[in-house]
Amino acid sequence: MNPDAALAIPELAASGALPAEQVPRLLRLARGELLSVHAELRALLYAGVLLLTGGVGLLVEQNLDRIGPLAIASALALAAAAALGWVVRVAPPFSWQEVASPNLAFDYLLLLGILLVAADLAYCEAAFGLLGVHRSWHLLIVAGLAGAAAFRFDSRVVFSLALSSFAAWRGVSLTLAGAAPWSRNGAWRWNAIACGLGFAAFGLGLARSRRKPHFEPVAVHLGCLLALGGIGLGMIDESRGAGLAWAGALLLAGGALAGAAYRARRFPLFAYGVVAAYAGLSRLLEIRDAAAGCLWFSASSVMMIAGLLAAHRRMREAAA
Amino acid sequence: MTPELARADRAAAVREAARSWRRAGWIDEAALAAVASRFPDDRVRVGPVFRALLFLFTAIAVCGGFGFLAVTVASGHDGVLAGLALAAGASLVAATELLTGTFRRRQGGIEAATSLMAIALLLGGGAWWLFSPGGLHLADGWPVFWTATAALTGAAAWRWGYPLYAGIGTAAGLAAVAHLPAGRALWIALPLAAAPALVRLAESPRLPPAHRASATAALLVALAGLYVAVHVGSWDARLVESLGGGHAEGLPPAADGGLARWAAVAAMILMPALLLAAGVWRRRLPLLAAGAAAAIASLATLPAYVHLGPLWLVLTVGGAAWIAVVLGAWRYLEAGPGGERHGFTAAPLTADRARQSLLEAAAAAALTMPAEPRALGAEPNFAGGGGRSGGGGASGEY
Repeated sequence: MNPDAALAIPELAASGALPAEQVPRLLRLARGELLSVHAELRALLYAGVLLLTGGVGLLVEQNLDRIGPLAIASALALAAAAALGWVVRVAPPFSWQEVASPNLAFDYLLLLGILLVAADLAYCEAAFGLLGVHRSWHLLIVAGLAGAAAFRFDSRVVFSLALSSFAAWRGVSLTLAGAAPWSRNGAWRWNAIACGLGFAAFGLGLARSRRKPHFEPVAVHLGCLLALGGIGLGMIDESRGAGLAWAGALLLAGGALAGAAYRARRFPLFAYGVVAAYAGLSRLLEIRDAAAGCLWFSASSVMMIAGLLAAHRRMREAAA
Repeated sequence: MTPELARADRAAAVREAARSWRRAGWIDEAALAAVASRFPDDRVRVGPVFRALLFLFTAIAVCGGFGFLAVTVASGHDGVLAGLALAAGASLVAATELLTGTFRRRQGGIEAATSLMAIALLLGGGAWWLFSPGGLHLADGWPVFWTATAALTGAAAWRWGYPLYAGIGTAAGLAAVAHLPAGRALWIALPLAAAPALVRLAESPRLPPAHRASATAALLVALAGLYVAVHVGSWDARLVESLGGGHAEGLPPAADGGLARWAAVAAMILMPALLLAAGVWRRRLPLLAAGAAAAIASLATLPAYVHLGPLWLVLTVGGAAWIAVVLGAWRYLEAGPGGERHGFTAAPLTADRARQSLLEAAAAAALTMPAEPRALGAEPNFAGGGGRSGGGGASGEY
């Protein structure tokens, strides 16, 4: 509902600014006589998928002895097959370009199917020890399955799940190996950086090759966050020199990302870069005194504001 | 809100509507340009990312500046610190006025941060004077503090047009009346009395968009307060009375099964139904959202009072039923003439699909794959399920 637009539409239509045939529809929308609940239905579907998968998780946890592993694994497989079977039945043909979802439920039933497969696989691994010492590999398998499904069925939602499962695989593998995020050998840090750079490169590769180019933002955003987070982890290194070196690296990486994103008009990436560079610089200065620290944050923020305003003005002038 | 700012907000609402029509393909670029020229923008605005960054750095600058003064000037002198907070708050009020007035900033981040910091510092300084030695007794001070918060944030919402402040002001007003002897009754009576007026204000063409949004925010908080007041769990726990400083002593024992408790049970069931009915009848998303949230809260409360079976069964059957109901609603709407029924449609119409898609992808990244049980020390049982955060550094920044 938009009362101001409802008042403006007749005037705009009379002046010829709006096409006459669209006026009744625009008026209905502006007066609240027609309401789209598309986003709300999708959000409710997402909540339903969360509830259902949460219930399935509890089911297998609490009923292992009573129902038996084979029955649980079979039930999960059947449920996953039902969801994925429906997806396969209604899916449009494959294309490397964006394909419109055949209906509102498509993405979420695909997501439900993949989550049920993941739950089944994790359960089988826990109950039967399918993967032996390579326990964490079920996450890698899920990442692969989700990735393949994302490409086949053109789902950014499932693609995002594939990437996060891949990163989770690295995290669980390191935990199994006994490495903590703050450990001195930096295994988490390097894994996060490698994953992040890999995701970003993969996303850029997709865009450049024009194969599922609309997946690129998902991969690049997640990749940048992981890489910057990994570099940022280095700043808490116990060794003073190493901590400062990582702070410098964060400053450089953040600055480079901000510059590149600004030129490409990728503003969320610009924000990641600016915040990372600022955090790196603030750590690099190693201010110990409270008053000096406060003064630094106050003065530097004013400078950041001035810089942002100047960058914004330049951008507007360039666009004009 | 100044008349100039109100006019600018109205023009911005028309331009925003035109952009959404263009996104839906209902008008062309020429029509969009024509709308922009008839409703020009005389404000200095920035996009959402620059706005967030400017807000962040302004907040850091103010906190840093105040921290510097606190450390250097007022160290160890609480009274001086409180005075500084009041002075800084007043200066930031003036700065916000200057930014929104002379500098014509709107949706610019900086003025939003200065307004928020102004309120926080004024309330912080005021709280020190209220609760300092020689000030009011704690029990007497809180109602005054909440009333002052409601007045200050209400004034800020009216003057600068931020719906957040209207919501905070309404919540603070409810917190203030909770201290009165009939606090729970007022939590029921006041929202019931105010809701019809707030619904009308939220749709009134006489108000600028920011004030309509403020009325919506106040409505949602008032309805939340009403729901809390009639909720049987809040009745049993004497939640409102506890918020009001413990006036629960004179009330009957919580689980006495008396008439009031049964009335609470009935109201807890009726309220979501009435809100959903009103939302459907008037085709208003805020009422539908409030009704849906209340229904979810009532359903979530049910297992605490009625044994429905094990939790896994409730979640699994509930989730499956939920999905079925949503799919049924979607099919019902889609099968209607022109893909709509009673003024509702499941078609996206003017939604920003790309933005929505990225938000959904971010939400999916927050789903952790079922955790590897032996890796996390949960042997021998499985500990999976969706809905945990983590995974690959998920973020809502998309």
